Amino acid sequence: MTISIALTKGRVEKQFLQYLQSRGFDVGPLIEKGRKLLVETDEFTCIFVKGWDVATYVEYGICDLGIVGEDILAETRPDVFDLMPLPFGKCRFALAGKPESIRHNRKRRIATKYPNVTQRFFREKGESVDIVKLEGSVELAPIVGLADAIVDIVETGTTLKENGLVVIEEIQLITARLIANRSALKIKKQSIQPFIEKLHGEGVYK
Amino acid sequence: MFLPEGSQDEIGTIVANRSKVFETFRRTAEQRNYTEISTPLVEYAETFTNEKVGMKLQNMLKWFDARGQIEVLRPDWTTSIARALSQKPFRQYKWAYQGSIFRQETPGLESRQVGIEIVDLPAILGESECLFFANDFFGRLGLEAVMVELGHAGIFEELVARLELPAGQVDRLRGAMHDKRKDEVYGIARTGGNKKIAEELAALVDAYGPFQMIETYLERWKGEPELSEKLKHIQKLGETLFSIGMEDVIIDLGRVKNLPYYTGILFRGFLKKTGTSCFSGGRYDKLYEQFNRNTTAVGIAFDADILAEQLDRAGNREKICIIANEETLADAEKLRSTYSSSIVDIRFEKPQKGEFSTVLRFTNKHGKWEAEEI
Repeated sequence: MTISIALTKGRVEKQFLQYLQSRGFDVGPLIEKGRKLLVETDEFTCIFVKGWDVATYVEYGICDLGIVGEDILAETRPDVFDLMPLPFGKCRFALAGKPESIRHNRKRRIATKYPNVTQRFFREKGESVDIVKLEGSVELAPIVGLADAIVDIVETGTTLKENGLVVIEEIQLITARLIANRSALKIKKQSIQPFIEKLHGEGVYK
Repeated sequence: MFLPEGSQDEIGTIVANRSKVFETFRRTAEQRNYTEISTPLVEYAETFTNEKVGMKLQNMLKWFDARGQIEVLRPDWTTSIARALSQKPFRQYKWAYQGSIFRQETPGLESRQVGIEIVDLPAILGESECLFFANDFFGRLGLEAVMVELGHAGIFEELVARLELPAGQVDRLRGAMHDKRKDEVYGIARTGGNKKIAEELAALVDAYGPFQMIETYLERWKGEPELSEKLKHIQKLGETLFSIGMEDVIIDLGRVKNLPYYTGILFRGFLKKTGTSCFSGGRYDKLYEQFNRNTTAVGIAFDADILAEQLDRAGNREKICIIANEETLADAEKLRSTYSSSIVDIRFEKPQKGEFSTVLRFTNKHGKWEAEEI
Protein backbone atom coordinates (compact mmCIF):
# COMPACT_ATOMS: atom_id res chain seq x y z
CA MET A 1 0.00 0.00 0.00
CA THR A 2 1.65 3.26 -1.15
CA ILE A 3 1.61 6.21 1.21
CA SER A 4 0.82 9.74 0.11
CA ILE A 5 2.51 12.89 1.39
CA ALA A 6 1.48 16.53 1.09
CA LEU A 7 4.55 18.69 0.98
CA THR A 8 4.89 22.44 1.46
CA LYS A 9 6.26 23.95 -1.76
CA GLY A 10 9.36 26.12 -1.69
CA ARG A 11 12.05 26.23 0.96
CA VAL A 12 10.51 23.55 3.20
CA GLU A 13 10.27 21.30 0.12
CA LYS A 14 13.99 21.65 -0.61
CA GLN A 15 14.96 21.09 3.02
CA PHE A 16 12.66 18.07 3.32
CA LEU A 17 14.00 16.46 0.15
CA GLN A 18 17.58 16.95 1.38
CA TYR A 19 16.56 15.41 4.69
CA LEU A 20 14.83 12.49 2.95
CA GLN A 21 17.98 11.90 0.90
CA SER A 22 20.11 11.93 4.05
CA ARG A 23 17.82 9.26 5.52
CA GLY A 24 18.40 6.98 2.52
CA PHE A 25 15.29 7.66 0.41
CA ASP A 26 15.46 7.92 -3.39
CA VAL A 27 14.32 11.48 -4.07
CA GLY A 28 15.44 11.70 -7.71
CA PRO A 29 11.90 11.79 -9.19
CA LEU A 30 10.89 14.46 -6.65
CA ILE A 31 13.83 16.75 -7.44
CA GLU A 32 13.34 16.37 -11.20
CA LYS A 33 9.59 16.96 -11.07
CA GLY A 34 9.60 20.19 -13.11
CA ARG A 35 6.23 21.88 -12.68
CA LYS A 36 4.34 18.72 -11.79
CA LEU A 37 2.25 19.02 -8.63
CA LEU A 38 1.86 15.26 -8.15
CA VAL A 39 4.80 12.86 -8.37
CA GLU A 40 4.88 9.12 -7.73
CA THR A 41 7.99 7.24 -6.66
CA ASP A 42 8.43 3.58 -5.76
CA GLU A 43 8.01 4.46 -2.10
CA PHE A 44 5.31 7.14 -2.02
CA THR A 45 3.15 9.65 -3.85
CA CYS A 46 3.92 13.30 -3.21
CA ILE A 47 1.76 16.34 -3.84
CA PHE A 48 3.20 19.84 -3.71
CA VAL A 49 0.92 22.50 -2.23
CA LYS A 50 1.09 25.74 -0.26
CA GLY A 51 1.86 25.37 3.42
CA TRP A 52 -1.60 26.61 4.46
CA ASP A 53 -3.18 23.82 2.37
CA VAL A 54 -1.00 20.90 3.53
CA ALA A 55 -3.02 20.24 6.69
CA THR A 56 -6.29 20.48 4.74
CA TYR A 57 -5.21 17.71 2.35
CA VAL A 58 -4.18 15.55 5.30
CA GLU A 59 -7.24 16.30 7.44
CA TYR A 60 -9.59 15.37 4.60
CA GLY A 61 -7.72 12.09 3.99
CA ILE A 62 -6.42 12.95 0.53
CA CYS A 63 -2.91 12.47 1.88
CA ASP A 64 -1.76 10.19 4.69
CA LEU A 65 1.09 12.41 5.85
CA GLY A 66 2.09 16.06 5.54
CA ILE A 67 5.17 18.22 6.05
CA VAL A 68 4.23 21.67 7.28
CA GLY A 69 5.52 24.50 9.44
CA GLU A 70 4.48 24.55 13.08
CA ASP A 71 3.44 28.20 12.65
CA ILE A 72 0.62 27.10 10.35
CA LEU A 73 -0.43 24.28 12.70
CA ALA A 74 -0.49 26.69 15.65
CA GLU A 75 -2.64 29.12 13.70
CA THR A 76 -5.12 26.70 12.08
CA ARG A 77 -5.20 23.84 14.63
CA PRO A 78 -6.26 21.18 12.10
CA ASP A 79 -7.76 17.85 13.25
CA VAL A 80 -4.71 15.71 12.48
CA PHE A 81 -2.04 13.78 14.36
CA ASP A 82 0.98 16.04 14.87
CA LEU A 83 3.65 13.38 15.07
CA MET A 84 7.08 14.93 15.37
CA PRO A 85 9.37 17.88 14.77
CA LEU A 86 11.76 17.76 11.82
CA PRO A 87 15.28 19.17 11.97
CA PHE A 88 14.67 22.08 9.61
CA GLY A 89 12.45 25.13 9.26
CA LYS A 90 13.60 26.24 12.70
CA CYS A 91 12.50 29.73 13.76
CA ARG A 92 10.34 31.30 16.45
CA PHE A 93 7.18 33.28 17.00
CA ALA A 94 8.00 36.65 18.52
CA LEU A 95 6.36 39.90 19.52
CA ALA A 96 8.39 42.70 17.91
CA GLY A 97 8.20 46.45 17.56
CA LYS A 98 10.14 49.70 17.69
CA PRO A 99 12.44 49.89 20.73
CA GLU A 100 10.35 52.74 22.14
CA SER A 101 7.15 50.64 21.88
CA ILE A 102 8.23 48.32 24.69
CA ARG A 103 6.72 50.74 27.20
CA HIS A 104 3.06 51.43 26.60
CA ASN A 105 0.15 52.65 28.65
CA ARG A 106 -2.81 52.07 26.35
CA LYS A 107 -4.47 49.19 24.53
CA ARG A 108 -2.11 48.14 21.75
CA ARG A 109 -2.84 47.34 18.13
CA ILE A 110 -0.93 44.28 16.89
CA ALA A 111 -0.38 43.44 13.21
CA THR A 112 0.10 39.79 12.26
CA LYS A 113 -0.44 37.01 9.75
CA TYR A 114 -1.36 34.82 12.73
CA PRO A 115 -4.42 36.29 14.52
CA ASN A 116 -5.26 33.10 16.45
CA VAL A 117 -1.74 32.66 17.78
CA THR A 118 -1.67 36.35 18.68
CA GLN A 119 -5.01 36.23 20.44
CA ARG A 120 -4.00 33.18 22.51
CA PHE A 121 -0.65 34.75 23.43
CA PHE A 122 -2.19 37.97 24.74
CA ARG A 123 -5.04 36.16 26.49
CA GLU A 124 -2.52 34.09 28.42
CA LYS A 125 -0.73 37.32 29.34
CA GLY A 126 -4.04 38.83 30.43
CA GLU A 127 -3.74 41.80 28.05
CA SER A 128 -6.47 43.07 25.72
CA VAL A 129 -5.22 44.05 22.26
CA ASP A 130 -6.70 44.88 18.87
CA ILE A 131 -5.46 42.61 16.10
CA VAL A 132 -4.94 43.69 12.48
CA LYS A 133 -4.63 40.81 10.03
CA LEU A 134 -2.03 41.28 7.30
CA GLU A 135 -0.95 38.87 4.56
CA GLY A 136 2.76 39.80 4.43
CA SER A 137 5.50 42.41 5.01
CA VAL A 138 4.19 42.66 8.53
CA GLU A 139 7.34 44.54 9.65
CA LEU A 140 6.05 47.59 7.80
CA ALA A 141 3.05 48.03 10.10
CA PRO A 142 4.83 49.61 13.12
CA ILE A 143 7.03 51.77 10.86
CA VAL A 144 4.10 53.45 9.12
CA GLY A 145 1.91 53.60 12.21
CA LEU A 146 -0.61 50.89 11.32
CA ALA A 147 0.21 48.97 14.51
CA ASP A 148 2.12 49.36 17.75
CA ALA A 149 3.82 45.99 17.40
CA ILE A 150 3.75 42.77 15.37
CA VAL A 151 3.57 39.04 16.04
CA ASP A 152 5.49 37.17 13.38
CA ILE A 153 7.96 34.35 12.76
CA VAL A 154 11.57 35.36 13.19
CA GLU A 155 14.43 33.29 11.82
CA THR A 156 17.65 35.34 12.01
CA GLY A 157 16.20 38.70 12.98
CA THR A 158 17.82 40.44 10.00
CA THR A 159 14.56 41.74 8.53
CA LEU A 160 13.53 43.14 11.91
CA LYS A 161 16.90 44.83 12.35
CA GLU A 162 16.93 46.36 8.88
CA ASN A 163 13.51 47.87 9.59
CA GLY A 164 14.50 49.24 12.98
CA LEU A 165 12.48 46.72 15.01
CA VAL A 166 13.50 44.62 18.01
CA VAL A 167 12.15 41.44 19.56
CA ILE A 168 10.09 42.44 22.59
CA GLU A 169 9.16 38.93 23.69
CA GLU A 170 9.76 35.38 22.45
CA ILE A 171 6.52 33.42 22.10
CA GLN A 172 7.27 29.92 20.84
CA LEU A 173 10.02 27.97 19.06
CA ILE A 174 8.84 26.36 15.82
CA THR A 175 10.10 23.83 13.26
CA ALA A 176 8.71 21.93 10.31
CA ARG A 177 6.59 19.00 11.51
CA LEU A 178 5.32 15.66 10.27
CA ILE A 179 1.54 15.35 10.51
CA ALA A 180 -0.75 12.39 9.76
CA ASN A 181 -4.39 11.76 8.94
CA ARG A 182 -6.14 10.36 12.02
CA SER A 183 -7.51 7.26 10.30
CA ALA A 184 -4.69 6.56 7.85
CA LEU A 185 -2.06 6.36 10.59
CA LYS A 186 -3.94 3.41 12.08
CA ILE A 187 -5.40 1.70 9.03
CA LYS A 188 -2.17 1.95 7.00
CA LYS A 189 0.17 1.45 9.93
CA GLN A 190 2.11 -1.30 8.16
CA SER A 191 3.09 1.11 5.40
CA ILE A 192 3.37 4.33 7.37
CA GLN A 193 5.24 3.15 10.47
CA PRO A 194 8.41 1.98 8.64
CA PHE A 195 8.49 5.31 6.77
CA ILE A 196 8.25 7.27 10.03
CA GLU A 197 10.89 5.14 11.70
CA LYS A 198 13.26 5.56 8.77
CA LEU A 199 12.54 9.28 8.81
CA HIS A 200 13.35 10.02 12.42
CA GLY A 201 15.80 7.28 13.33
CA GLU A 202 16.58 8.12 16.95
CA GLY A 203 13.77 8.94 19.38
CA VAL A 204 12.48 12.45 18.89
CA TYR A 205 11.47 13.21 22.44
CA LYS A 206 14.80 12.88 24.24
CA MET B 1 -32.00 32.49 -2.66
CA PHE B 2 -28.76 31.04 -1.32
CA LEU B 3 -27.93 28.38 1.24
CA PRO B 4 -25.61 28.89 4.23
CA GLU B 5 -22.11 27.37 4.07
CA GLY B 6 -22.26 23.58 4.36
CA SER B 7 -26.06 23.32 4.01
CA GLN B 8 -27.45 21.48 1.04
CA ASP B 9 -30.70 20.30 -0.47
CA GLU B 10 -30.72 16.55 -0.92
CA ILE B 11 -32.60 14.66 -3.58
CA GLY B 12 -33.11 11.02 -4.47
CA THR B 13 -30.51 8.43 -3.58
CA ILE B 14 -28.90 10.13 -0.60
CA VAL B 15 -32.30 10.70 1.04
CA ALA B 16 -33.35 7.12 0.28
CA ASN B 17 -30.09 5.74 1.63
CA ARG B 18 -30.39 7.71 4.85
CA SER B 19 -33.94 6.45 5.30
CA LYS B 20 -32.60 2.94 4.83
CA VAL B 21 -30.02 3.56 7.56
CA PHE B 22 -32.75 4.77 9.93
CA GLU B 23 -35.12 1.93 9.07
CA THR B 24 -32.41 -0.73 9.38
CA PHE B 25 -31.30 0.75 12.68
CA ARG B 26 -34.84 0.66 14.06
CA ARG B 27 -35.33 -2.93 12.94
CA THR B 28 -32.00 -3.97 14.49
CA ALA B 29 -32.78 -2.22 17.76
CA GLU B 30 -36.29 -3.62 17.97
CA GLN B 31 -35.11 -7.20 17.41
CA ARG B 32 -32.41 -6.78 20.07
CA ASN B 33 -34.98 -5.62 22.66
CA TYR B 34 -34.20 -1.90 22.72
CA THR B 35 -36.74 0.75 23.66
CA GLU B 36 -36.78 3.88 21.56
CA ILE B 37 -36.20 7.22 23.25
CA SER B 38 -36.41 10.75 21.93
CA THR B 39 -35.44 13.93 23.76
CA PRO B 40 -36.32 17.53 22.87
CA LEU B 41 -34.37 19.40 20.25
CA VAL B 42 -34.10 22.39 22.58
CA GLU B 43 -32.44 22.05 26.00
CA TYR B 44 -30.77 24.30 28.57
CA ALA B 45 -27.07 24.87 27.88
CA GLU B 46 -26.26 23.97 31.50
CA THR B 47 -27.18 20.33 30.79
CA PHE B 48 -24.15 20.11 28.49
CA THR B 49 -21.74 22.69 29.92
CA ASN B 50 -21.71 21.61 33.57
CA GLU B 51 -18.51 20.25 35.08
CA LYS B 52 -19.45 16.57 34.63
CA VAL B 53 -20.14 16.92 30.90
CA GLY B 54 -17.73 19.70 29.99
CA MET B 55 -18.92 20.60 26.49
CA LYS B 56 -17.96 24.08 25.28
CA LEU B 57 -20.76 26.64 25.01
CA GLN B 58 -19.00 28.31 22.09
CA ASN B 59 -19.56 25.18 19.98
CA MET B 60 -23.35 25.18 20.50
CA LEU B 61 -26.20 26.92 18.70
CA LYS B 62 -27.69 29.04 21.46
CA TRP B 63 -29.96 31.90 22.44
CA PHE B 64 -31.53 33.43 25.55
CA ASP B 65 -35.06 32.45 26.53
CA ALA B 66 -37.56 34.99 27.95
CA ARG B 67 -36.14 34.56 31.46
CA GLY B 68 -32.54 35.02 30.37
CA GLN B 69 -31.51 31.36 30.49
CA ILE B 70 -29.35 30.03 27.67
CA GLU B 71 -31.06 27.44 25.50
CA VAL B 72 -29.29 25.33 22.86
CA LEU B 73 -30.12 23.02 20.00
CA ARG B 74 -29.23 19.50 21.18
CA PRO B 75 -25.44 19.13 20.70
CA ASP B 76 -25.16 15.57 22.08
CA TRP B 77 -27.53 12.63 22.45
CA THR B 78 -25.79 10.79 25.29
CA THR B 79 -26.03 13.63 27.81
CA SER B 80 -29.58 14.42 26.81
CA ILE B 81 -30.65 10.81 27.31
CA ALA B 82 -28.83 10.58 30.66
CA ARG B 83 -30.82 13.60 31.83
CA ALA B 84 -34.08 12.03 30.66
CA LEU B 85 -33.39 8.60 32.17
CA SER B 86 -32.25 9.98 35.49
CA GLN B 87 -35.53 11.72 36.17
CA LYS B 88 -37.67 8.58 36.23
CA PRO B 89 -37.14 4.99 37.34
CA PHE B 90 -37.00 2.62 34.37
CA ARG B 91 -36.75 -1.14 34.26
CA GLN B 92 -35.40 -1.12 30.73
CA TYR B 93 -31.62 -1.26 30.21
CA LYS B 94 -31.25 -0.74 26.47
CA TRP B 95 -32.24 2.46 24.68
CA ALA B 96 -32.11 3.43 21.01
CA TYR B 97 -32.30 6.91 19.49
CA GLN B 98 -32.09 8.55 16.09
CA GLY B 99 -32.03 12.19 15.05
CA SER B 100 -29.94 15.27 14.53
CA ILE B 101 -27.36 16.99 16.66
CA PHE B 102 -26.17 20.55 16.07
CA ARG B 103 -22.67 21.94 16.56
CA GLN B 104 -21.00 25.11 15.35
CA GLU B 105 -17.96 23.26 14.01
CA THR B 106 -20.05 20.87 11.87
CA PRO B 107 -20.32 22.01 8.23
CA GLY B 108 -23.96 22.94 7.79
CA LEU B 109 -24.32 22.79 11.62
CA GLU B 110 -26.46 19.62 11.55
CA SER B 111 -25.41 15.99 11.55
CA ARG B 112 -27.59 12.92 11.91
CA GLN B 113 -26.91 10.08 14.31
CA VAL B 114 -28.40 6.76 15.27
CA GLY B 115 -27.20 5.18 18.47
CA ILE B 116 -27.75 3.12 21.58
CA GLU B 117 -27.31 3.72 25.30
CA ILE B 118 -27.07 0.85 27.78
CA VAL B 119 -27.43 1.52 31.51
CA ASP B 120 -27.32 -0.67 34.62
CA LEU B 121 -25.82 -3.70 32.88
CA PRO B 122 -22.52 -5.41 33.85
CA ALA B 123 -19.58 -3.75 32.06
CA ILE B 124 -18.51 -6.51 29.68
CA LEU B 125 -22.14 -7.34 28.77
CA GLY B 126 -22.94 -3.73 27.90
CA GLU B 127 -19.75 -3.17 25.94
CA SER B 128 -20.05 -6.44 24.02
CA GLU B 129 -23.67 -5.62 23.22
CA CYS B 130 -22.61 -2.25 21.74
CA LEU B 131 -20.18 -3.91 19.37
CA PHE B 132 -22.43 -6.91 18.64
CA PHE B 133 -25.10 -4.37 17.73
CA ALA B 134 -22.65 -2.60 15.41
CA ASN B 135 -21.78 -5.91 13.75
CA ASP B 136 -25.46 -6.85 13.35
CA PHE B 137 -26.38 -3.39 12.06
CA PHE B 138 -23.55 -3.26 9.51
CA GLY B 139 -24.38 -6.78 8.33
CA ARG B 140 -27.98 -5.76 7.64
CA LEU B 141 -26.74 -2.66 5.79
CA GLY B 142 -24.37 -4.79 3.71
CA LEU B 143 -21.29 -2.97 5.05
CA GLU B 144 -18.71 -5.64 5.76
CA ALA B 145 -15.34 -3.88 5.78
CA VAL B 146 -15.43 -2.05 9.11
CA MET B 147 -12.44 -1.96 11.45
CA VAL B 148 -13.04 -1.64 15.20
CA GLU B 149 -10.55 0.17 17.43
CA LEU B 150 -10.50 -0.45 21.18
CA GLY B 151 -8.91 1.83 23.77
CA HIS B 152 -9.31 2.64 27.44
CA ALA B 153 -9.54 6.17 28.88
CA GLY B 154 -8.24 4.90 32.22
CA ILE B 155 -4.73 4.01 31.04
CA PHE B 156 -3.63 7.58 30.35
CA GLU B 157 -5.46 8.88 33.41
CA GLU B 158 -3.80 6.27 35.65
CA LEU B 159 -0.29 7.21 34.50
CA VAL B 160 -0.93 10.96 34.61
CA ALA B 161 -2.38 10.83 38.13
CA ARG B 162 1.00 9.61 39.36
CA LEU B 163 2.68 12.79 38.11
CA GLU B 164 0.48 15.03 40.29
CA LEU B 165 0.56 17.82 37.70
CA PRO B 166 -1.63 20.95 37.98
CA ALA B 167 -5.00 20.60 36.21
CA GLY B 168 -3.98 22.95 33.38
CA GLN B 169 -0.90 20.88 32.62
CA VAL B 170 -2.97 17.68 32.64
CA ASP B 171 -5.32 19.22 30.06
CA ARG B 172 -2.34 20.22 27.89
CA LEU B 173 -0.89 16.74 28.25
CA ARG B 174 -4.22 15.15 27.30
CA GLY B 175 -4.39 17.41 24.23
CA ALA B 176 -0.84 16.49 23.20
CA MET B 177 -1.65 12.78 23.63
CA HIS B 178 -4.82 13.20 21.55
CA ASP B 179 -2.70 14.69 18.75
CA LYS B 180 0.06 12.06 19.23
CA ARG B 181 2.51 14.93 19.70
CA LYS B 182 5.12 12.77 21.30
CA ASP B 183 7.77 15.44 21.91
CA GLU B 184 5.26 17.62 23.75
CA VAL B 185 3.84 14.68 25.74
CA TYR B 186 7.34 13.91 26.97
CA GLY B 187 8.16 17.56 27.60
CA ILE B 188 5.07 18.22 29.73
CA ALA B 189 5.30 14.89 31.54
CA ARG B 190 8.94 15.57 32.46
CA THR B 191 7.83 18.63 34.42
CA GLY B 192 6.21 16.15 36.82
CA GLY B 193 9.70 15.09 37.87
CA ASN B 194 9.31 11.38 37.09
CA LYS B 195 11.39 10.38 34.04
CA LYS B 196 10.12 6.78 34.01
CA ILE B 197 6.46 7.80 33.80
CA ALA B 198 7.31 10.50 31.25
CA GLU B 199 8.92 7.83 29.05
CA GLU B 200 5.96 5.52 29.60
CA LEU B 201 3.56 8.25 28.48
CA ALA B 202 5.72 9.05 25.43
CA ALA B 203 5.72 5.35 24.53
CA LEU B 204 1.93 5.29 24.92
CA VAL B 205 1.71 7.62 21.90
CA ASP B 206 2.90 4.72 19.73
CA ALA B 207 0.82 2.03 21.44
CA TYR B 208 -1.57 1.50 18.54
CA GLY B 209 -1.80 -1.30 16.02
CA PRO B 210 -2.94 -4.93 15.70
CA PHE B 211 -4.91 -6.40 18.58
CA GLN B 212 -2.09 -8.85 19.32
CA MET B 213 0.04 -5.89 20.50
CA ILE B 214 -1.83 -6.13 23.76
CA GLU B 215 0.37 -9.11 24.73
CA THR B 216 3.43 -6.85 24.56
CA TYR B 217 1.88 -4.40 26.97
CA LEU B 218 0.62 -7.13 29.33
CA GLU B 219 4.24 -8.22 29.62
CA ARG B 220 5.50 -4.62 29.92
CA TRP B 221 3.04 -3.77 32.70
CA LYS B 222 2.95 -7.13 34.51
CA GLY B 223 4.00 -5.44 37.77
CA GLU B 224 1.31 -2.78 37.38
CA PRO B 225 -2.02 -4.24 38.56
CA GLU B 226 -4.08 -1.10 37.76
CA LEU B 227 -2.83 -0.97 34.17
CA SER B 228 -2.92 -4.76 33.67
CA GLU B 229 -6.52 -4.86 34.80
CA LYS B 230 -7.48 -2.38 32.06
CA LEU B 231 -5.51 -4.30 29.45
CA LYS B 232 -7.19 -7.57 30.43
CA HIS B 233 -10.56 -5.86 30.10
CA ILE B 234 -9.72 -4.79 26.53
CA GLN B 235 -8.38 -8.27 25.83
CA LYS B 236 -11.55 -9.95 27.07
CA LEU B 237 -13.74 -7.68 24.98
CA GLY B 238 -11.56 -8.17 21.89
CA GLU B 239 -11.58 -11.95 22.24
CA THR B 240 -15.37 -11.89 22.56
CA LEU B 241 -15.51 -10.00 19.26
CA PHE B 242 -13.18 -12.50 17.59
CA SER B 243 -15.46 -15.32 18.77
CA ILE B 244 -18.36 -14.00 16.72
CA GLY B 245 -16.20 -13.47 13.65
CA MET B 246 -15.32 -9.78 14.06
CA GLU B 247 -11.68 -10.07 13.08
CA ASP B 248 -10.74 -6.52 12.14
CA VAL B 249 -9.95 -5.30 15.62
CA ILE B 250 -7.09 -2.94 16.42
CA ILE B 251 -6.08 -1.19 19.64
CA ASP B 252 -4.91 2.27 20.60
CA LEU B 253 -3.85 2.30 24.25
CA GLY B 254 -3.02 6.00 23.99
CA ARG B 255 -6.63 7.05 23.40
CA VAL B 256 -7.75 9.81 25.76
CA LYS B 257 -11.22 10.95 26.72
CA ASN B 258 -12.44 13.94 24.70
CA LEU B 259 -15.15 14.69 27.27
CA PRO B 260 -14.67 14.48 31.06
CA TYR B 261 -17.34 11.83 31.59
CA TYR B 262 -15.59 8.95 29.79
CA THR B 263 -14.23 6.49 32.34
CA GLY B 264 -13.32 3.23 30.64
CA ILE B 265 -13.45 1.42 27.32
CA LEU B 266 -13.45 3.61 24.21
CA PHE B 267 -14.36 2.31 20.78
CA ARG B 268 -14.38 3.65 17.28
CA GLY B 269 -15.19 2.18 13.86
CA PHE B 270 -13.41 2.93 10.61
CA LEU B 271 -14.58 2.10 7.10
CA LYS B 272 -11.60 0.19 5.74
CA LYS B 273 -12.12 1.40 2.19
CA THR B 274 -12.00 5.12 2.91
CA GLY B 275 -10.66 5.32 6.47
CA THR B 276 -13.70 7.37 7.48
CA SER B 277 -14.75 7.14 11.10
CA CYS B 278 -18.32 5.79 11.15
CA PHE B 279 -19.03 5.19 14.85
CA SER B 280 -17.61 6.02 18.25
CA GLY B 281 -18.54 5.45 21.84
CA GLY B 282 -17.45 4.11 25.16
CA ARG B 283 -18.10 3.84 28.86
CA TYR B 284 -19.19 6.87 30.87
CA ASP B 285 -20.36 5.74 34.29
CA LYS B 286 -19.61 9.19 35.78
CA LEU B 287 -22.11 10.94 33.54
CA TYR B 288 -25.02 9.83 35.72
CA GLU B 289 -23.38 11.01 38.95
CA GLN B 290 -24.58 14.57 38.30
CA PHE B 291 -28.13 13.23 38.57
CA ASN B 292 -27.30 11.39 41.81
CA ARG B 293 -27.54 8.05 40.14
CA ASN B 294 -24.78 5.52 40.67
CA THR B 295 -24.86 3.21 37.69
CA THR B 296 -22.96 1.79 34.74
CA ALA B 297 -23.44 3.33 31.31
CA VAL B 298 -22.03 2.64 27.87
CA GLY B 299 -23.11 3.68 24.41
CA ILE B 300 -22.26 3.94 20.76
CA ALA B 301 -23.27 6.53 18.17
CA PHE B 302 -23.26 5.86 14.44
CA ASP B 303 -22.84 8.65 11.89
CA ALA B 304 -25.97 8.18 9.76
CA ASP B 305 -24.69 10.57 7.07
CA ILE B 306 -21.45 8.62 6.60
CA LEU B 307 -23.26 5.26 6.53
CA ALA B 308 -25.79 6.54 3.98
CA GLU B 309 -22.94 7.53 1.66
CA GLN B 310 -21.62 3.96 1.72
CA LEU B 311 -24.79 2.20 0.67
CA ASP B 312 -25.28 0.94 -2.87
CA ARG B 313 -27.14 3.34 -5.02
CA ALA B 314 -30.83 2.53 -5.12
CA GLY B 315 -30.41 2.49 -8.90
CA ASN B 316 -28.58 -0.82 -8.68
CA ARG B 317 -31.93 -2.53 -8.25
CA GLU B 318 -33.76 -3.63 -11.40
CA LYS B 319 -35.75 -0.72 -12.85
CA ILE B 320 -38.80 -1.52 -14.91
CA CYS B 321 -41.04 0.82 -16.86
CA ILE B 322 -44.56 -0.22 -17.83
CA ILE B 323 -46.00 1.81 -20.68
CA ALA B 324 -49.74 1.99 -20.32
CA ASN B 325 -52.61 4.15 -21.47
CA GLU B 326 -55.85 5.25 -19.87
CA GLU B 327 -57.44 1.94 -20.79
CA THR B 328 -54.65 -0.26 -19.39
CA LEU B 329 -53.73 1.80 -16.31
CA ALA B 330 -55.39 -0.59 -13.86
CA ASP B 331 -53.79 -3.63 -15.53
CA ALA B 332 -50.41 -1.87 -15.31
CA GLU B 333 -50.88 -1.32 -11.58
CA LYS B 334 -51.77 -5.01 -11.10
CA LEU B 335 -48.65 -5.97 -13.04
CA ARG B 336 -46.51 -3.53 -11.05
CA SER B 337 -47.53 -5.16 -7.77
CA THR B 338 -46.05 -8.49 -8.94
CA TYR B 339 -42.51 -7.01 -8.98
CA SER B 340 -41.98 -6.67 -5.24
CA SER B 341 -38.19 -6.27 -5.26
CA SER B 342 -37.83 -4.01 -8.30
CA ILE B 343 -38.36 -0.34 -8.93
CA VAL B 344 -41.39 -0.08 -11.23
CA ASP B 345 -42.75 3.08 -12.83
CA ILE B 346 -45.92 3.39 -14.93
CA ARG B 347 -45.86 5.90 -17.77
CA PHE B 348 -47.91 6.83 -20.79
CA GLU B 349 -44.84 7.74 -22.86
CA LYS B 350 -41.81 5.67 -23.82
CA PRO B 351 -38.93 6.52 -21.42
CA GLN B 352 -35.55 7.81 -22.54
CA LYS B 353 -33.02 5.19 -23.57
CA GLY B 354 -31.03 3.82 -20.61
CA GLU B 355 -33.43 5.12 -17.98
CA PHE B 356 -34.83 1.62 -17.24
CA SER B 357 -33.34 -1.86 -17.56
CA THR B 358 -36.65 -3.30 -18.75
CA VAL B 359 -39.50 -1.60 -20.60
CA LEU B 360 -42.88 -3.32 -20.94
CA ARG B 361 -45.69 -2.13 -23.17
CA PHE B 362 -49.33 -3.25 -23.17
CA THR B 363 -50.50 -4.37 -26.57
CA ASN B 364 -53.93 -5.56 -27.56
CA LYS B 365 -53.86 -9.10 -28.89
CA HIS B 366 -57.15 -10.41 -30.13
CA GLY B 367 -59.08 -8.08 -27.84
CA LYS B 368 -56.97 -8.88 -24.77
CA TRP B 369 -54.32 -6.56 -23.30
CA GLU B 370 -50.93 -8.23 -22.69
CA ALA B 371 -47.60 -6.78 -21.53
CA GLU B 372 -44.54 -7.55 -23.60
CA GLU B 373 -40.95 -6.36 -23.42
CA ILE B 374 -39.79 -3.90 -26.04
